[in-house]
Amino acid sequence: MNGFDHLIHAPNRLRICALLEAAGEAEFAVLQEQLGLSASVLSKHTGALIDAGYVEQRKAVRDTRQRVWLRLTAAGRKAYQGHLAALREIVGP
Amino acid sequence: METDTHFPDRPTPDEARAALADAACVQESTAARSATPWPLWFATVITAYVALFPVAYGGMLSDRDWLLPTPAWTATLAVSTLVYLALFAYAGRAWRRRTGVALRFDVLPKTVTVPLVTGLPLLLVGSAWAFKLTGRSAWIVAASALAAAVSVGFHLAFVRLHRKAGAR
Repeated sequence: MNGFDHLIHAPNRLRICALLEAAGEAEFAVLQEQLGLSASVLSKHTGALIDAGYVEQRKAVRDTRQRVWLRLTAAGRKAYQGHLAALREIVGP
Repeated sequence: METDTHFPDRPTPDEARAALADAACVQESTAARSATPWPLWFATVITAYVALFPVAYGGMLSDRDWLLPTPAWTATLAVSTLVYLALFAYAGRAWRRRTGVALRFDVLPKTVTVPLVTGLPLLLVGSAWAFKLTGRSAWIVAASALAAAVSVGFHLAFVRLHRKAGAR
């Protein structure tokens, strides 16, 4: 199946990719809040996406606390869009 | 908790439809956050700047002194632009801290943003040149009023989009 990506297809990872594509870049806490995930579950999924080269992270200090910002890489955006196209193909006309 | 495994090689059409709907839902709620309007103080700053620009630029281009000496208009334009850029940088950082997402300018429909991005600079610069060529201050007064109205309209469009997206 052309474009279908098993790594992205896991529901939480698909939702993470959907959020990052729409937001451009989002803070870890925003992903947690918007997706209703615990920090550990979100870390696990973002870790898998980072390992695959689909997501990159940037650390920034705010109010003396370190915040993590996440964004899709070019490869991640392409894989996500390819995956959506594959899902649309499965759904059919 | 979701695990990494146990996903079939090929989802059924219903599963694929559900996954697409889920992704669309997340994108909609994220779009509402990205469409968070500027705070009122900065919307006022933008409006004041676009209203001042044609007047100051027109005064700067004028062949004779108009209301103020030409160097005073040049200084007004330079200082107001620097202040505007500094406030924009501050407001942008504050907006990102508040929303937790990147600042994007493509959340409004292109049918709104493309005419704005091309038309507003044309209006601001063109009216000053029209004033220089004709000597009629009505050009810059009208451009100033129109630019302020466009700025207020754009801000209200963001407020409405944000409320609409947030209500879904």
